[in-house]
Formats: sequence, structure tokens, C-alpha cells
Amino acid sequence: MTIADARLPDQPLVFANDAFLALTGYGRDEVLGRNCRFLQGEATDRTAVAQMTRAITAGQPVSLDLINYRKGGAPFWNGLHVSPVHDDAGRIAFFLGAHHDVSDRKAAEFAAARTLEGLVSARAGDMELALTQKTALLHEIDHRVKNNLQLVSSLLLLQSRRLQDESARAALRGMLERVSAIATVHRRLFQSEDVERFDVAEFVRDLVGDLMGAAGRGDIQVGLDLERVDIPAGQAAPLALIVNELLCNALKHAFEGGRPGRIDVSIRRGEENFAIVVGDDGVGAPDLAAPPRSFGLTIVHLLSQQLRADCNFEDSQPGVRATVVVPVASPTGLASPA
Amino acid sequence: MSAPPPLNVLIVEDEVILAVELGFLVREAGCRDVGHAMSSDEAVELAWALKPDLALVDVHLRDGPTGVEVAREIAAHCGGVALFMTANVRRLPADFAGACGVIGKPYSEHAVKTALAYLGVCLHEGRAPGQPPLGLQLAPDFAARWGLCDAAWAS
Repeated sequence: MTIADARLPDQPLVFANDAFLALTGYGRDEVLGRNCRFLQGEATDRTAVAQMTRAITAGQPVSLDLINYRKGGAPFWNGLHVSPVHDDAGRIAFFLGAHHDVSDRKAAEFAAARTLEGLVSARAGDMELALTQKTALLHEIDHRVKNNLQLVSSLLLLQSRRLQDESARAALRGMLERVSAIATVHRRLFQSEDVERFDVAEFVRDLVGDLMGAAGRGDIQVGLDLERVDIPAGQAAPLALIVNELLCNALKHAFEGGRPGRIDVSIRRGEENFAIVVGDDGVGAPDLAAPPRSFGLTIVHLLSQQLRADCNFEDSQPGVRATVVVPVASPTGLASPA
Repeated sequence: MSAPPPLNVLIVEDEVILAVELGFLVREAGCRDVGHAMSSDEAVELAWALKPDLALVDVHLRDGPTGVEVAREIAAHCGGVALFMTANVRRLPADFAGACGVIGKPYSEHAVKTALAYLGVCLHEGRAPGQPPLGLQLAPDFAARWGLCDAAWAS
């Protein structure tokens, strides 16, 4: 216990009890008349000292742990409590100081912090390893999926080369286009850093490039007007198949007999849904309201149901305009086709 | 510009179905399908013997991920140019091991044919006729050699 006189210059100690003298190793004549800061030294936290000075200047009591030094230079943690004592006029007259050696408590605190730090860093290491393994596994699976899709495509191509029957060849070609659309999805899916989202616009760009190139119809113009739309990866394949059917349909049926023309594809983003429109200025279709008879359009209707999307064909005079409106937050492939 | 002579193409691929179908595509694209190899030893042997203009090289062969070394060997000693065809585009070394580029699997029939036609012009003229077609990514060295700016391969 110490008492400092707040009214004297530099606020010297005017009282020190035996416990304080035992704690610090000084004699009474060595401490009285000096400001208590003589206990501070190199390792004393200056920020804590400033905090203490601010508090007592404002007349507030303050408790904190401070590194102090015994006579002879041995450091210890001083658990310090200082409270001001006011005179009758309300001015600060004395500071009462209570001092305790809290070195053991501080050592225990630091040890606990080190243990915690060790645990946290070990856990972080584990998680990093797990993430590395997961990424490696993901790449391995991605690699196998792509190779297997390539194998499926090559099988379909090989068989279609051997077929003499034109309609059988056309059917296999149709399947090849569908597999290619799914393959395009997989190429895109792992190109982005986020493997859980899928950019529809980039996909449509790739698909149109590939289909138009393969069709070899330089007399058909293509216009793209695509806003960026991200969908969950689980919806990517069904949506890709829908867009593929609409495009293939326009390419195969709208411009028969070498009729030149134009196909426009647009994606528009709304608040709760987005719309994909595939329009052509070709020969048109006779029975747009009738239930679909072709396999391709059946696929479009089934997958639209799966995505809870509205699919609509209209006569755009000339040609056909197909519009698919997909809800943004629709569940991924849970609905069963009717 | 004169029409480029048909390329002699070596196929280095351990999946037989893919290799056979690729052979059809190569011939349909107006190239010569000069040989098929399934392992790195076979590939280097055939590249030495046949001196192909272009080798289509899968990274994973019968003896492991040795396609990269095959490409290096072809670039350094055989006079031809390798083109990777792999599902693992990201794992290729930054210098493409001396190969001129990569077609990512799964590729489409159209992508392979246009890439072959494009590379035929590049190899014959020493200059690219324009940006590479969809599905073909050029190695930085070759993009520069064939007169394309950085933007050609940065995507």
C-alpha cells in the first residue's frame, strides 16, 4: 500500500507500508519523496502507463497490470489499483495505491494463450490440408468426368460413321449434340473459380459458336444480346440442354432448302427470373400450340418443368420465337417430370 | 496465300476409342493420319521415325502423365510441333513444354477440325491468320511467334 501526495510537485510517495517494501526490495527512505514511476522500466507497457495517467488525472480510479522492477532490476507483474482521495473542496489530495505481485497469474494467462494459439494453428493446418485434399479430389473427378464425356462423344461419332440409315444417323447426331452441350457445361463449370455457380451467358456464347461452326451455314446470321446470369451449378445441365434444343431446332427447321436468315439469342435478367429468347426469321412452324411431337421439344418441355420454367413458342411472322422464363431461386432438379 | 499442304499428324492417346475417332477427324480435316501411339516410348519412337508436322498429345498416357515429356522431346529433337489434348488444361506447365497450344477435353468435332485448319495455316505461313478458333488455346511462345499480341492467349 502506498500514498502519494497529489498536491506536491510530481506527486511523491508520502507513505509506503512494509508489504510494499517487501514486494519491491527497497528501504522506506529510498522510496518516500519519489514519484512511483521509478518502479517502471524497459519492458513496461507505455500505453498502459498513459491509460493510468489519463484516469488519475481525470480523478477516476484505475486497475491494471504493469511490469515493474524490484531493486536490483528483477521484473515482476504489479497488479496495480490506484484511487484518488478528494479533500473537502473536491480537489484530488492523495492517490492510494494497492500493489500485488501477479506474476504467477500472468504466466498462467500467457501459457493459456500460447496453448490456444497452438491449438488454433494446428486446427488451421488440418483444415488447410483437408482443403488441399478436397481440391485435388475435385480436380481428379473433373478430369474423369471430362474424359468420360469425351469417350461418350467419340463412341457416338464412331457409330454414326458406320450407319447407312439417314434417320438413324440424324438421331445419333442429335444425341451427340446433347452430349456436347453437357460437355460445354463441364468445361465452363471448372474454368471459373466458383464451382458452385454457372454463367449462362458465357455458356450460350460457347454453344452458339460451336453449333454455328458445325452447321457450316455462313448464310445464317447470329445476333447475341446476353446479360450475365449466374445459376446454381445443379441447374446448368438441364438449362444447357434446353438452349441446345432451341438452337438446333432453329438451325435445322427454320432455314431449310438453303433459305438464308437470322437467329437472335438474348438473355434478360429480371428481379425474380431471367428470360432466354431464341428467335429466328425462318419458315415458321405450323402448329405452335399443339403438344410437341419431336423428341427435342419433348426434352425442352420436360426440363422446363424440372426447372419450374415457363416455355413459350410464338409465331413472330416471319419465324418462331421461343421464350424460356426461369425463376432465379428455383430448386435444382427436384421436381419430377409429369 | 497458297493452300497449306496437308499436315502429317501423329496421334498420341491411350484411349483407343478416342484415338480411332480422332483419326477420322484428322482425315476429314484434310490431314494425313500417319500413326497412333499409346505410351511415351511409342510416341517418341514414332515421332523420330515419321517426323510428323503435328502431334496431338494427351497428357495421360499408358505409362502415366508422360505426355508433357513427349511434347518436350518432339519440340527439342523431332522438328515437329505438339498440340496437347487434355481434360486437365490447368496442370500444363507455363511454357507448354514446347507445345504450340492445347485443346481442352471434351472437345467438339468442329473445334478439332477448325483448330487443325488454323494450325495448318500457322505452320505453313509462319503467321496466324487471325485469333485462334473457339476451343484452341495457343502457348504464349507460339502466339508471339505467329504474330499475335498477348490478348490472343490471355483469356
